[in-house]
Parts: sequence; structure tokens; C-alpha cells
Amino acid sequence: MGFINGTASFVRFSVEGDLPENIWDFIADRVVAFSFRDIDETYEEDSLGWVSVLNMFDTEFNYASYAAGNYVTLSMRHDERKVSSAIVKKYVQKEEERIKKEKQIPKISRTMRVEIKERIQNELMRKSLPMPAVYDLCWNLENSSLLFFSTNKKAQALLEDHFKESFGLTLMQQIPFLCGQHLLDEEDAEKLARITPDIFL
Amino acid sequence: MDLVDLIEEKRFIGQEFLTWLWWKSEERGGVIALAAEGDIVVVFEKHMLLEYGEGESSEKLTCRGLQTELQEARTGLVMGKKLEQARIQLTHNDYEWNFTLAGSLMEFRNVKLPKTEGDTGPTNNPEEREGMVLERIFLFEQLERMVLELFRLFLQVRVGEGWREELLKVREWVNKAERV
Repeated sequence: MGFINGTASFVRFSVEGDLPENIWDFIADRVVAFSFRDIDETYEEDSLGWVSVLNMFDTEFNYASYAAGNYVTLSMRHDERKVSSAIVKKYVQKEEERIKKEKQIPKISRTMRVEIKERIQNELMRKSLPMPAVYDLCWNLENSSLLFFSTNKKAQALLEDHFKESFGLTLMQQIPFLCGQHLLDEEDAEKLARITPDIFL
Repeated sequence: MDLVDLIEEKRFIGQEFLTWLWWKSEERGGVIALAAEGDIVVVFEKHMLLEYGEGESSEKLTCRGLQTELQEARTGLVMGKKLEQARIQLTHNDYEWNFTLAGSLMEFRNVKLPKTEGDTGPTNNPEEREGMVLERIFLFEQLERMVLELFRLFLQVRVGEGWREELLKVREWVNKAERV
């Protein structure tokens, strides 16, 4: 968060690849096609997609609300059902105890233990509520750069995949070395590739 | 080379840039002339993170305090630690940005944008909303442009013939910390 208000953290990406001629039609089509699908009423484990930067429940983008000048502003929403391992462990043990008593057996076999764990995990997962996470981005169409408002590595990996899937374009994180390659002329860029660390004392 | 290896091998470039920028910020009272933007003022403040070594054996040193109290961080440099994160204040015209720059990945953290006259709060009018969004984008990109311009300045010196001379000046400044 932070793109729309308050303090913000961001990382820079370059957008690699070509967009078709009718850029805005293409984007309109893809943003909606890859928008977020709610999983509150289903048993799905997770869901990932685009929502409006102003409202995480807006997946319709009326009047191309993602467009601002030559920029595309979107939020990537990721809802995920999670169950902590301590809870799984507790309910697996409880179920094992119940079965031992019911069948009057002293020990549970390995296969049965695996089956119990899988079943309990699924049951708990279905009962848990999806936890939402929203990450903003701002895509500059003029110079093919993108600011992603999170320094979380997992979120960055999800973004790279979802962006590629949605628009067929590759995101390349602009670490200082790559950024320097863009900033310098060809001769200096070659020199940059050859330099080694220097000692500052 | 894939990105993960590239990040590891080239992380020194961003760290060297931060150290150079710290020296540069103290060289002329923080005033740095940028070709496209004009004069800007760079101040290193309050918070710094230094790193020593690599991977699992790496050590980290956090220094907090007012500008004048960053002696510990300077001493860290003398010990061979590298500057990985610094809280920076950047002023251009009447606008002031505060942000933490993480060197090796060039991440902008906890960016505080300048206050502007158009800061009217949330609105339901779509045109006003777009205006507000565009203003925020402008301010983020302005910060990005200035930092990239500073980075270009550093890189041109770093790969150029004047680097040895510049490095001697930086070393002198680093070593002053020992004598203070």
C-alpha cells in the first residue's frame, strides 16, 4: 500500500516486450480477463488478480478507472486460506486419539497417519477465511517502467508471473547494475560490467 | 547469468553508490548540481544500516541518531563495513522528500512525499481522483528521476578516469572518522 496515501515503499521494474497497436483496448481486455475472483463462498485455497487501486472490491473498472494519463494503475489482490501448523498438529493428534479409542488399537499405522493429516488439513483449510493482501503498481506506458509498491519478495514473484500471464510482457527488476546499463552510453556500460569492488578506507 | 547471481555479484555497486552519496552530501553542504533538475540538497539523517561479510556469516550494524551522531557509522566504514541502507532527505525547490534507500537492490522504503497545495484528502469526483493519482505519480517519479540522476553522476565517475582521484578524497573523508 502507500501508492494512494501515506508513506510508501517501492521497487522499480522495466517492462520488456511489445504492446499491440491498440494499447488501451488490449489493456482493458486483459485487466478484466485477469481481474480478481472472490473465493469467500468457495473452498479454493487462493486467488490472485487485479482490482482497482481505490477499492479492493472493484473488479469491473468502469470507465477504465485504472487509466491515469499515460499510466496504468492497478492493485494486485491475493487472497489466501492459511492454517497454522500448530492448529493442524493439534487436530491431527485429536483425531488420532479418537480413532485409537474407537477402533481399540494401540497404534496408528503410517499410511493411516498420512491419510488423517491430509483430511484434517483439507477440513481446516475449508473452514479458514481467506486472508487478503493488496499490492499497488503504477505502469508508465511512455517509458515502459513500473513501480511496484512492495519490497516483499514473494509478492514480487507473484507480480512477475501474473503480469506475464495478463499482458504477455516480462518484468525485470531494476537492480543498480541493470539500471546503470540503461543510464550509461554503450562504452561506459561495458566498463561498468567489468568493474570490481573497491576499498573505501 | 540469472538475476539471483547478478544481484549477488553486483550488490557492491549500489552500496558503493550510497557511500559515495554520503560523502558527496557532506562535501558542499549537501548541495549537488544535477544537469536536468538543477541544484538539490541531499542530507543523510538519523538511520543507517551497515553490512560486513556475505551470506550467513554477514554482520549488520544499525546506527541511529542525529546527523552529527553518525560517527559510529563512519567508524563502521573504517572497519570495512559497507553502507547498505540510509535514511535520506532530498530537497528540490520547495519540495522535500524523505526516504530510505536500500543500496544493493535500490529499493525505496518508507517514502514520504512532499506536502503539496493539492493535498485535499479523499474525493469521490473521478476527475479530482485522477488528478490526485497523477500528482502522487509525478512526485514518486520526480524522486526516482533525481536519485537516478545522482546514480548516473556516480557511475560516470566510477567508470571514468577520475575515479582514483575521487576515491582518494572519499578515503580521506572516511579515515577522518578515525581521527575525530
